[in-house]
Amino acid sequence: MWISLNIISKMVSLDGISPEDIAQRLTMSSAEIECLEYANRHFTTIITAKILDVKPHPNADKLTLVDLSTGSENHRVVCGAPNHKKGDIVPLAMPGTEFSKDFIIKKSKIRGEESSGMLCSEKELGLSDDHSGILIFPEGTPAGKSLAEIFPDSVDVRLEIDNKSITHRPDLWSHMGFAREIAALYGRPFTDVIDRSLESGFKNAESLKVEIMNPEAAPRYSGLVVKNIKIGDSPDWLKAAVTSIGMRPINNIVDITNYVMAEVGEPMHAFDRKKLTGDRIIVRLARQGEPIMTLDGQTFTLTSEDIVIADNDKPIALAGVMGGGNSEIDDSTTEIVLEAATFNPVNIRKTAQRFNQRTEAAMRFEKSLSPELTAAALIRCYDLIKKCIPGAVAVSKILDAYPVKQKTVKIKTDTEFIKKRIGQKISDERITGILKALDFRIEIKGTDLELEVPHYRATKDISIPEDIVEEVGRIYGFDNIAESAPMVPCTPPRRNEFRLFERKVKGILSMHFNMIETSGYSFVGEDFLNRLGINEDRELRLANPLSMEQDRLRRSLVPNAVKSIMVNMRNSDYFKTYEMGRIYIKDDRKSKELTGENTRVCGLVYSRQPDAPLFYEAKEIVCGLIEMISMDDIVMVPESKELPPYAHPGRSMLIKTGGKDAGIISEFHPKTLKSFDIQGRSAFFDIDLNMLFDAEKTDKKFCELQKYPDVPFELSILADRYVHTADIISHVIKTSPEYIKSAEVISIYEGAQIPEGKKSVSIKTVYRASDRTLSPEEIAGLQKKLIESMNRKGFTLR
Amino acid sequence: MENKLEEIKKQTVDAVRSAKTADELEDLRVRVLGRKGSLTIILRSLGDLPPETRGTIGKKSNEIKKIIEETLESRLNELNETSLDGLVTSEWIDVTLSSPGATGTAKTGRLHPISQIQYEIEDIFTSMGFEILDGPEAETEYYNFEALNIPKHHPARDMQDTFWTEDGNLLRTHTSPIQVRGMEKMKPPLRIVGPGRVFRYESTDASHENTFYQVEGMMIDRDISVSHLIYVMKELLRRIFKRDVKIRLRPGYFPFVEPGFELDMNCLICGGTGCSVCKQSGWVEVLPCGLVHPAVLRYGNIDPSQWSGFAFGLGLNRLIMMKYGINDIRHFLSGDERFLVQF
Ligand SMILES: [Zn+2]
Repeated sequence: MWISLNIISKMVSLDGISPEDIAQRLTMSSAEIECLEYANRHFTTIITAKILDVKPHPNADKLTLVDLSTGSENHRVVCGAPNHKKGDIVPLAMPGTEFSKDFIIKKSKIRGEESSGMLCSEKELGLSDDHSGILIFPEGTPAGKSLAEIFPDSVDVRLEIDNKSITHRPDLWSHMGFAREIAALYGRPFTDVIDRSLESGFKNAESLKVEIMNPEAAPRYSGLVVKNIKIGDSPDWLKAAVTSIGMRPINNIVDITNYVMAEVGEPMHAFDRKKLTGDRIIVRLARQGEPIMTLDGQTFTLTSEDIVIADNDKPIALAGVMGGGNSEIDDSTTEIVLEAATFNPVNIRKTAQRFNQRTEAAMRFEKSLSPELTAAALIRCYDLIKKCIPGAVAVSKILDAYPVKQKTVKIKTDTEFIKKRIGQKISDERITGILKALDFRIEIKGTDLELEVPHYRATKDISIPEDIVEEVGRIYGFDNIAESAPMVPCTPPRRNEFRLFERKVKGILSMHFNMIETSGYSFVGEDFLNRLGINEDRELRLANPLSMEQDRLRRSLVPNAVKSIMVNMRNSDYFKTYEMGRIYIKDDRKSKELTGENTRVCGLVYSRQPDAPLFYEAKEIVCGLIEMISMDDIVMVPESKELPPYAHPGRSMLIKTGGKDAGIISEFHPKTLKSFDIQGRSAFFDIDLNMLFDAEKTDKKFCELQKYPDVPFELSILADRYVHTADIISHVIKTSPEYIKSAEVISIYEGAQIPEGKKSVSIKTVYRASDRTLSPEEIAGLQKKLIESMNRKGFTLR
Repeated sequence: MENKLEEIKKQTVDAVRSAKTADELEDLRVRVLGRKGSLTIILRSLGDLPPETRGTIGKKSNEIKKIIEETLESRLNELNETSLDGLVTSEWIDVTLSSPGATGTAKTGRLHPISQIQYEIEDIFTSMGFEILDGPEAETEYYNFEALNIPKHHPARDMQDTFWTEDGNLLRTHTSPIQVRGMEKMKPPLRIVGPGRVFRYESTDASHENTFYQVEGMMIDRDISVSHLIYVMKELLRRIFKRDVKIRLRPGYFPFVEPGFELDMNCLICGGTGCSVCKQSGWVEVLPCGLVHPAVLRYGNIDPSQWSGFAFGLGLNRLIMMKYGINDIRHFLSGDERFLVQF
């Protein structure tokens, strides 16, 4: 919203205050000023000058040399316009005049002739579209005046208000509201522009009545009938004012109603009296399905929540949003009904949203306007109509339906409370002084205050003592409040163990395994799921997605892992990334109303040309992680069937805890890589972090350091190619668990001398006893036992 | 045989003593003691000798072997310690190289910049006695709006364009629902922070994201004031930016606080003189805050006549952008390693 300081200055004197200071003070105490704009600041250096002589340019046919006098100085300019002659008074833009950043008037030579300034057309001055010649002032216009003096209304400073910062302040949707704020901030008097004495001149010669059918939808409806209207252009001051606040001048009546809305804050409308049927204006809820055509030509089908203004047989306006096309004023209008009303903000908000018509009026009504404004706005409108159309006459009293009077809001509080909440000693006089300046009526009893809230802030904005704290604080200046540390007991906070666990896992992955943490969107789309082969339509969908690619919530972090590969393989041949984040499972509701959320961690290793299967690298990370978080109840089992479609069936292991799947380590299926055009290979792990957190952890315990010597023993066996070495090792250990310190695979060999379909596995077993050195006989016995056991299992020795 | 041994000994010892480089010594060692070295051959052939000489020759051979080894070693030491041709050259490596062949493993791991700042903030607040809480990301309308004093059809809902889900819930538009859940769960006095991911129904560009991060905070105690709020916020910013930062507090409207503020921080990029990041104002909005609205306390089952508190919501993305001069908010969720390794 734009605020014009010209309009403000009619209500509060701005003498001696810079616009920058006003913007700063308002930002700090009232509303955020987004920008400050000078309108026609350059008019101060455009001066009226009398043409002394016009001579042809020696080097150009279409140019002339013009000598001018501003009364005190003479100037010569080169001019290309055809219409000026000796004796004319014309606007001379002096050197230094800044039309825009890129257009500044300078002394220069034009085709060899000095020119010190520029003569301006109306278009160049922004006064009209006329560019046929330079502006020639009426005879008798004095020379030496600046355009700022000639067109005082065109020179203005405007402030743009951040609308979000006045959501709660219906009064600030007007110049009057800002004028009051400035008056309070600078301690200056506020002048009301409403001339209430005009009301006594309103005739009672009109049979029109107004009626509210649904008081809950419209607390007040006021009207005024004015005759002898002549629709025409607005006077210059009004055009300038309307332009300054960001609207387009239309005609005198529309401009006046717009101006009053911006000035007083009450949206206004004018109906053509002669287009109304009958003598009644009715405010009612629309009938379901009732159509209306608004004055912009659109037709809407209404619901029973929309409010309409109707005459005897038809809706004539969509209340609070826009007037109707059937009752609109036009060039032949001579008699109007001015409307000022208050509507239920929720109805207006819904209507405006439903029809996507957030008009200036609707934006104000939905903020809960004070019903006390309507009569004042009508009087102000009439005042301005009289100024533009002196013959106009009010032929009705103010027609007023006001079934539910606005309640006076009174607040009891005390200065101690205010000081305590602000946390600073402010004198009682200062507090009451601020509140008085803000138009509160105050009764003071000691430190107790009984306040009556001004009507324009009593609709919703101010109702409780805390609101008074804000009023005092903001005028006092929150910036003037000193900081102080709260004095509270130093009890340590409870630990959020899960968060700490998340952090620990991230620390292990990033700091120990040198992985890079990424973060991706919580959304996923159908195409991605299809390419991963997991589109089962089980995701929680968004009711209002931004795009097809982000129309549902992820059930898995794997799509983001794939994205990470696609992004990074362009710049890197090898990387390890992971994401920890929530997934959303709509069919696993932890409470009735909430979708289940689980935290998972999904990591990947990518290499354009891996030397060895990347699976082992991913597995090493997971094993390291499990070891470092001291998980006890965990097993990893090879799996080739029960796998997600993007997992490689020959290179996958499931991670289980408590007998349940907690995750997977795998390589991406080659067909998945292909469907995403990924060159190279990638292994990943995808683990349920909540399950890891819940799983039992081993308490760390000291083990006596080994005192007696190791006895290594190596043997090679033949096994089927597809036998997992982990199974062989577990058989080895099972033979003498109490004496086997470790058993590990040293090498695997397939090829020459090994039968087809078999492999040779060399295993190193280390025996030891914790309480003695093993005797040669014992060792021989243990080895024999191992060999026999291997033979029984069908692993032949080599 | 004995003479032959003596000759090997003499020649070798002389040669060793006059050797100039470690390589020369190594050659000598191989020639005499290597697998096919002259002394090695003799030692191997001891078995072929008649038993009566085997003992003396064997003993003598071993003595000589020992002498040669000692001489070799002492000469090598001499060379290493005294000569310019010592270790400097013999074991020279190019130290400006990185571990050869180590391509991938040379990269160091990282936490996401959001995690880094989030943990830093969690630690600052934990040190001030705040407990860390979590909340669901897919929230109910009640916790996201109603219990925060934003009823249906309240104009303030415009300030937070919302993603709605098919089950009638929404994606939380701020971390403030964590406040309400915190108040329900705990009794006053309380100090809580709730970091997390939030969502806005908004098209993305360099300064807008539909997904970003906040840290919510709330302190409730007897007589908490604006002055306390200013202290905690300043302390937080001082610790994050590791210097005294200039802030200003101006009115800001949020239905869940009264009075409510926008806290602006002096722009660190231009130092307050005005730049594109601060839109020439010299100030950057970093966090909305205020004293908790009594209606919100009541929603949390806390009696506003007994308790008061402050609450704030800190946008992490903006803070990091400010700290490092990042110009595009979309980098955060891009997954691009080139961005992530910078922090
Ligand atoms: Zn800046």
